Amino acid sequence: MAQPLVKKDDDRDDEADYSPFLGIEKGAVLQEARVFNDPQLDPRRCSQVITKLLYLLNQGETFTKVEATEVFFAVTKLFQSKDIGLRRMVYVMIKELSPSADEVIIVTSSLMKDMTSKTDMYRANAIRVLCRITDGTLLTQIERYLKQAIVDKNPVVASAALVSGIHLLQTNPEIVKRWSNEVQEAVQSRAALVQFHALALLHQIRQNDRLAVNKLVSSLTKGSVRSPLAQCLLIRYTSQVIRESANTQAADRPFYDFLEGCLRHKAEMVIFEAARAITELNCVTTRELTPAITVLQLFLSSSKPVLRFAAVRTLNKVAMTHPMAVTNCNIDMESLISDQNRSIATLAITTLLKTGNESSVDRLMKQITNFMSDIADEFKIVVVEAIRSLCLKFPLKHRSLMNFLSNILREEGGFDYKKAIVDSIVILIRDIPEAKETGLLHLCEFIEDCEFTYLSTQILHFLGIEGPKTSDPSKYIRYIYNRVHLENATVRAAAVSTLAKFGAMVDTLKPRIFVLLRRCLFDNDDEVRDRATLYLNTLGGDGAVVQTGEDVKEFLFGSLDIPLVNLENSLKNYEPSEESFDIYSVPREVKTQPLAEKKAPGKKPTGLGAPPAGPPSTVDAYEKLLSSIPEFANFGKLFKSSAPVELTEAETEYAVNVVKHIFDGHVVFQYNCTNTIPEQLLENVTVIVDASEAEEFAEVASKPLRSLPYDSPGQTFVAFEKPEGTPAIGKFSNMLRFIVKEVDPSTGEAEDDGVEDEYQLEELEVVAADYILKVGVSNFRNAWESMGADCERIDEYGLGPRESLAEAVNAVIDLLGMQPCEGTEVVPNNSRSHTCLLSGVYIGNVKVLVRLQFGLDGPKDVAMKLAVRSEDESVSDAIHEIVASG
Amino acid sequence: MLLAILVSNSAGNILLERFNGIPSEERLHWRTFMVKLGADNLKGARNEELFVASQKSVYIVYTVLGGVCIYIVGKDDYDELALTEVMFVITSSIKDACGKSPSERLFLDKYGKICLCLDEIVWQGILENTEKERIKRLIGLKPPNPTES
Repeated sequence: MAQPLVKKDDDRDDEADYSPFLGIEKGAVLQEARVFNDPQLDPRRCSQVITKLLYLLNQGETFTKVEATEVFFAVTKLFQSKDIGLRRMVYVMIKELSPSADEVIIVTSSLMKDMTSKTDMYRANAIRVLCRITDGTLLTQIERYLKQAIVDKNPVVASAALVSGIHLLQTNPEIVKRWSNEVQEAVQSRAALVQFHALALLHQIRQNDRLAVNKLVSSLTKGSVRSPLAQCLLIRYTSQVIRESANTQAADRPFYDFLEGCLRHKAEMVIFEAARAITELNCVTTRELTPAITVLQLFLSSSKPVLRFAAVRTLNKVAMTHPMAVTNCNIDMESLISDQNRSIATLAITTLLKTGNESSVDRLMKQITNFMSDIADEFKIVVVEAIRSLCLKFPLKHRSLMNFLSNILREEGGFDYKKAIVDSIVILIRDIPEAKETGLLHLCEFIEDCEFTYLSTQILHFLGIEGPKTSDPSKYIRYIYNRVHLENATVRAAAVSTLAKFGAMVDTLKPRIFVLLRRCLFDNDDEVRDRATLYLNTLGGDGAVVQTGEDVKEFLFGSLDIPLVNLENSLKNYEPSEESFDIYSVPREVKTQPLAEKKAPGKKPTGLGAPPAGPPSTVDAYEKLLSSIPEFANFGKLFKSSAPVELTEAETEYAVNVVKHIFDGHVVFQYNCTNTIPEQLLENVTVIVDASEAEEFAEVASKPLRSLPYDSPGQTFVAFEKPEGTPAIGKFSNMLRFIVKEVDPSTGEAEDDGVEDEYQLEELEVVAADYILKVGVSNFRNAWESMGADCERIDEYGLGPRESLAEAVNAVIDLLGMQPCEGTEVVPNNSRSHTCLLSGVYIGNVKVLVRLQFGLDGPKDVAMKLAVRSEDESVSDAIHEIVASG
Repeated sequence: MLLAILVSNSAGNILLERFNGIPSEERLHWRTFMVKLGADNLKGARNEELFVASQKSVYIVYTVLGGVCIYIVGKDDYDELALTEVMFVITSSIKDACGKSPSERLFLDKYGKICLCLDEIVWQGILENTEKERIKRLIGLKPPNPTES
């Protein structure tokens, strides 16, 4: 670590290096704080005690409620002192202690006095403290002063009020929004920081008003912003306006000239902000990009590491979308590979890997090899991922890239790093067939000396899948069998399974594999022996070359068809008893992914962690799930499953949604339940359904959920019989019934005795749309013509007053639950008539086409002509009935 | 938002930490992360040489000032360049408060004054003052120089 450049004698003083806070103890300091109560205050002593308190707080120490209250009351006494230094400390201390609402009252009057003081600095500080500790009621009382303070001629007072406004906007938005005029005035301030704070606050106040933001940007871009910080804010707001403006045509993009002008600003911060804003424009053109890339290129060779970092970080992002635009910077970036700051070097390398062409790969790899040895694992992982992408981009270069990966695999590194490399090799093997054999051999060599059990077992599993399909599977056997001698029990067991897979898949190897498997029968681990026994017995352990049956293969190596997470949870919940574990009790419902993950754009390549095949579609999954339940097995083919309908509000104790499964003569409600209380275990969970408002439905079966532990979703089902082939509708009220058992949070064990309880759920409706499948047609006109007018039914309806034509169109689409065709669900603005085309399949597999013609009748009234064609006239009538009764 | 300001000694012991908007259970993680970052990179660094890193969506700018290491973490508007600005204000104010680049001892001796400086520079995650002369006056409750804009 660098030592300060200090004179010798100073140095000696420092050598005595004991901390003024040496041996500091909270209890002792709290005792010392009693000096605040002295009638004759000693400001110096009091300041020292406050410093100690601050030291404690800044070390992460916390005060109990009682301690904090005691100190706070004592500190308030210090307002009596006229000592300026001490007063400043008092302000800080109160903010740090942030007293509770009932205590605030003690200081309010002192602070109000300071806030109206003639001394500007008292005002500024009192504003900050008051705003830190205030609540809504007090804020209304001081609002008048705050508004005045915003336009105060002293910039410190104005800034204090504005920054307070930024904080208060989070808690009391309606009050702060009333300050718009004053804040607007402060934006024009000559003081740079006031302008910066005012702009930030004004934007936050108006951020939901697109027009106002547009106006703000329009007026400020004409050139009245003084501080570089404010200018940066303005650039950000400008790019927001550009993003939101409908016009994405580069030729007349608004404000581009302003951004381009900022590239010539004197502050580097502003130049960079403008460059970044330009690179992030939607559909940015090369012409627009060029000036921004040029300034970023200049920053690449700056002496300031932050500028180099900022530039290479931005170029790295640009390289993802416009690699060609960045190639001019490649030479500058190559020199950054040796940058002392490893973050910069890593970003440079990964950018180069994105922008490089096939011919430069070898040269780059040489440079990277030297670089890899002196960076941390987290950077290495980034590089490995970049190399993986490069290899997928240039498959012909797989040899050198694979060699690189295998070399770094042999070097020192932590688990995450090694896993990243192994994952990359696996992905390359899967995607580049030519790389398969070399890749597998690299992995084989790696497991010869692999210290991570997880990776060894995963690789063995992968070898079992891919190895038998190679031209010479026998060459992998040695590596696998070595594991049986040299590794721990987990790896040995995995090796036995892999050997068995080779035996099952490659008949010529089978006799020799059996010899090896028989040797495993004497292993000292139960699991290893059990596996060997199982494989030998099921695969025909007599050593004769016989074809292994598909059933056996499926039994041994087929997928479990159950989400592994659910299996794991069920196994954890299973208590060893006389009753053996029932694999069919494991829920098959895949836990819903968090929304954020679903939204993630593009599919990331997956390594060993995930199987290559994607999950089955929802309908398939439901069908499989329902057919696995004996009670519903004879219901026939599943016609439609609805999207889940929430039956509880967000963040309730139990989250329940329902999926309606429609069969020809039955309806099954699948209630997906989640218990969100860690201290509870629910058992025997059922939903009691009252179908008194659904006359045509009769309950025939109910499948309770045996156990619903915390945060592990499960399902319970209720099935109803209904008249075959008809679209029976009705309303169902639902009550969740269960036995609740307390769970000890420390041990996770549930009490033996439980209490029966109920939980009211929302009502559920089966509507006509549940009986129609959304099935589109590619050419509606052709389909309409070929269907013919035999079963056509036409009628007109008055839809009454509607908010807009679009609203009426959407309401009918939702009512029918059919698929809009040819984009006709979109109603152009201000149109007075519209035609919408729908298609679907009605229960009983009858195709239906619908032509809806809407017209505005008077200012708001909507009239509709409905024409239905189908293969069955009763279905055409049914559609009309749905509309008539909807 | 300026998420954190941390000052440690050269051995990685925290001398001062101020977090904004980071829950207390995550603070240990940040503390450890930054001290490790310093241990990995600040060895042999020049006084006030700036270092920069990013971790997910946050930026970290850090440096050595005499015998102490300073780390600032920011996100969104407070990117690496804004943090550089903040770092500049912080280092110059600390030097001002201590009269020079501080040793650990000197830093602790002037602890109260440094806390006041930081209070003027950052308020609950928002940069408030950037001029060291002004900060010097403000911590003594003196109004800014009238010639300043």
